[in-house]
Amino acid sequence: MNNLCTPIDHVLSRRQLLGAAGATAGTLGLGGLLHPAVAEQMKRTEKQVLFIWIDGGMSQLESWDPKPKTRFGGPFRTIPTSVTGVHVSELMPRTAKIMHHLAVIRSLHTQDNSHSRGVNRVQRGDPKERGVTYPLFGSAVAKLMGPCSSGLPPYVWVKPGSGGFIHADAGFLGPKYGALALGDGQPPENMLLPEGITPEADRQRNAMREFVNKRYAERRRPGVSDASSYVFDTARTLMSRSELFDPSTVTESERERYGDHELGRHMLVGRRMLEAGVRFVKVNSYGWDTHGDNFNGHASLMPRFDQAFSAVIEDLADRGMLDNVLVIAMSEFGRTPRINGHIGRDHWPEAWSLAMAGCGLHKGIVIGKTNEEGTFVDSEEYDMGHLFHTWFHALGIDPHKTEYVNNGQPLPIAHDDHSPIKEVLS
Amino acid sequence: MKEILEPVEQCVITVDPQVGSAHFSECGRFLLAGSFDGRVRRWDVSDPQTPRELEAFTQHQAWVSPVVTRDGVAFSADSWGGVAAWRYDADGPQTLWSVEEAHDGWCRQLAITKDCLATCGRDQRIGLWNPADGNSIGELQGHENDIYSLAFHPSDSNLLASGDAKGIVKIWDLAARRCLRDLDASLLFTLHRLQDVGGVKCLTFDATGERLAACGTKPKNGGTVQGEPTIMIFDVATGQLKQTLFVGPSKDCYVHEMHFHSDGYIMAVTCGAAGTGRLLFQKLDAEKPFYASKKLINCHSLSRSPDGSRLAVTTTNRNSNGNGRRLDDDGQYEGNTTPIHMLSMPQSE
Repeated sequence: MNNLCTPIDHVLSRRQLLGAAGATAGTLGLGGLLHPAVAEQMKRTEKQVLFIWIDGGMSQLESWDPKPKTRFGGPFRTIPTSVTGVHVSELMPRTAKIMHHLAVIRSLHTQDNSHSRGVNRVQRGDPKERGVTYPLFGSAVAKLMGPCSSGLPPYVWVKPGSGGFIHADAGFLGPKYGALALGDGQPPENMLLPEGITPEADRQRNAMREFVNKRYAERRRPGVSDASSYVFDTARTLMSRSELFDPSTVTESERERYGDHELGRHMLVGRRMLEAGVRFVKVNSYGWDTHGDNFNGHASLMPRFDQAFSAVIEDLADRGMLDNVLVIAMSEFGRTPRINGHIGRDHWPEAWSLAMAGCGLHKGIVIGKTNEEGTFVDSEEYDMGHLFHTWFHALGIDPHKTEYVNNGQPLPIAHDDHSPIKEVLS
Repeated sequence: MKEILEPVEQCVITVDPQVGSAHFSECGRFLLAGSFDGRVRRWDVSDPQTPRELEAFTQHQAWVSPVVTRDGVAFSADSWGGVAAWRYDADGPQTLWSVEEAHDGWCRQLAITKDCLATCGRDQRIGLWNPADGNSIGELQGHENDIYSLAFHPSDSNLLASGDAKGIVKIWDLAARRCLRDLDASLLFTLHRLQDVGGVKCLTFDATGERLAACGTKPKNGGTVQGEPTIMIFDVATGQLKQTLFVGPSKDCYVHEMHFHSDGYIMAVTCGAAGTGRLLFQKLDAEKPFYASKKLINCHSLSRSPDGSRLAVTTTNRNSNGNGRRLDDDGQYEGNTTPIHMLSMPQSE
């Protein structure tokens, strides 16, 4: 009927996972470069995603869609970019220099102005209501594309705060397609083998664990036990890749380029995860909900985003990875043109922007526009469904030919009424 | 101390679009306000009940934040680094001089003496200019952050105070072009995730010049930004912190402007989340204000007329915030306004 992949297609055995991981273990040198052969394969064939989530709502007027000399334009200047005729806020000078890699959409019009609903709605692609909980984009990619040949977990989330396995992201796909979250960019707790445990002892302990798991699974629904085993196995692939988290494998100049701040450190971890062969990496930044003191807030927020974002784009381009890595930087909405009494901006899904790069998207383009004061879209509006169609196309997945099946119910992977943004696809 | 009666509202000037601050001219006859649309709005306020708007000054490119006056000349600066001097008492404002790029980016504050106009901004520099012709007469470097505030010593024009985004206050010797000492107002700053929150929003010397107040908030978080409105009072001679006043709940957030009153209390305005903030008067030895307005919200500036009999407080209209699509009766997207409350200060004998 279609080329829908099934869960079984992507269930790698523990042996496969460990074998693949072992093949690349120990091959990372300073700078975290992948083994040349594996890196070459990643460059040529394997599509990946870097999803940069700016939680709370970056102001489009202080970033991608400035409106200088207008009523709501704010205090900042605009600066030219490496693309003739395209200007961005002065708060992103580094990004201005790599604009020729980017595709910016200035005509987003989405449906939700609250965080609690908006975050999930946006990251799930805002599909039509069908009585099920759709997966977040990372889980969708994990399901539809599976792990890369590295055998590393398909969906890794680098985030401030605590880590763990976030199964809720997967929605109806089931818990195994959730995110392995690296809290504060650190490896999962107790990931490394204690010094007193030899490889042989470890093997025996795992044999015991598998035996117990098998007994446990016999009395449980398959989904639950599969997820449990899967999470453990994917965690063990990272156990054999401890060098990914070894600070000594990052140079001082890299740290400086990305920035000695939360987002800089996490973006660098994200890049290393992509190099190592993680299919989908989400990097979160929190604290962008600038209802108060918006302009002073963005005066410090934006330069830190600018530093980390431009560094990762440069690195992916320099390594030849940008051809196959889809980069997306976005929030759940933009911020109001209106400036409130706390000199802040509130939530504004009516007209906002995002930036993308790589994976065959057109480079150095701006799609759509807002009106003179930036209050509403003044071209064709794009919603999350359009973006999901676009992203899936860039990843080589045709949403018109691929469906999920949930307990026998076929479900579209992106909003049925929407289509890809053709101007951005090459 | 004489009994202070509550200030009485004389009129409200509603300004659209918003202005950042409004201040009396040194003669008390005019009110000048730097606007988000790049104009400096002017009113003749000699009749307290019926202010008369005059032609605006329109030479700026971007947001105008600070405006100061001296000897009939207004000095204003904008967020793209421009500084201008112009006669404000003329029928039409007359430009005397302008410097288009006095700063690389946002010029935050101005301070003026007879011989020196000081400017500061996002470029972490303090510029010194001849107020007569706009020629540069020097600059001060040493801050490592965006500089928010400036104040000249009231009796020693060789001393200048500056305060930055991370709560560093510097006292400068202008003749020597050097920093005499740093004052630690870092209570007014926090790093919350990626965001620098707080900073020294206002610096004010008392009349004797013995005390310097650094104003802002003791921040709790970024984003919406909450924190206790805070005034830190330093001994200028020693640099010692003498007193810290918390003048409201955390929702009131920033002290945006403050003055020492000769009767021994402070007058301040605060502004936090939409609908909060107030005008308040508080004795220095008291824990709570003895007067706090309930009507004035989101107050951003407080100006006293030269004779002390009047106040001008910039505020924000009610319901200024909101996530939804709010349109006016004509279906147009609405902005917010700045009601400027003109108040008289009756005092008992």
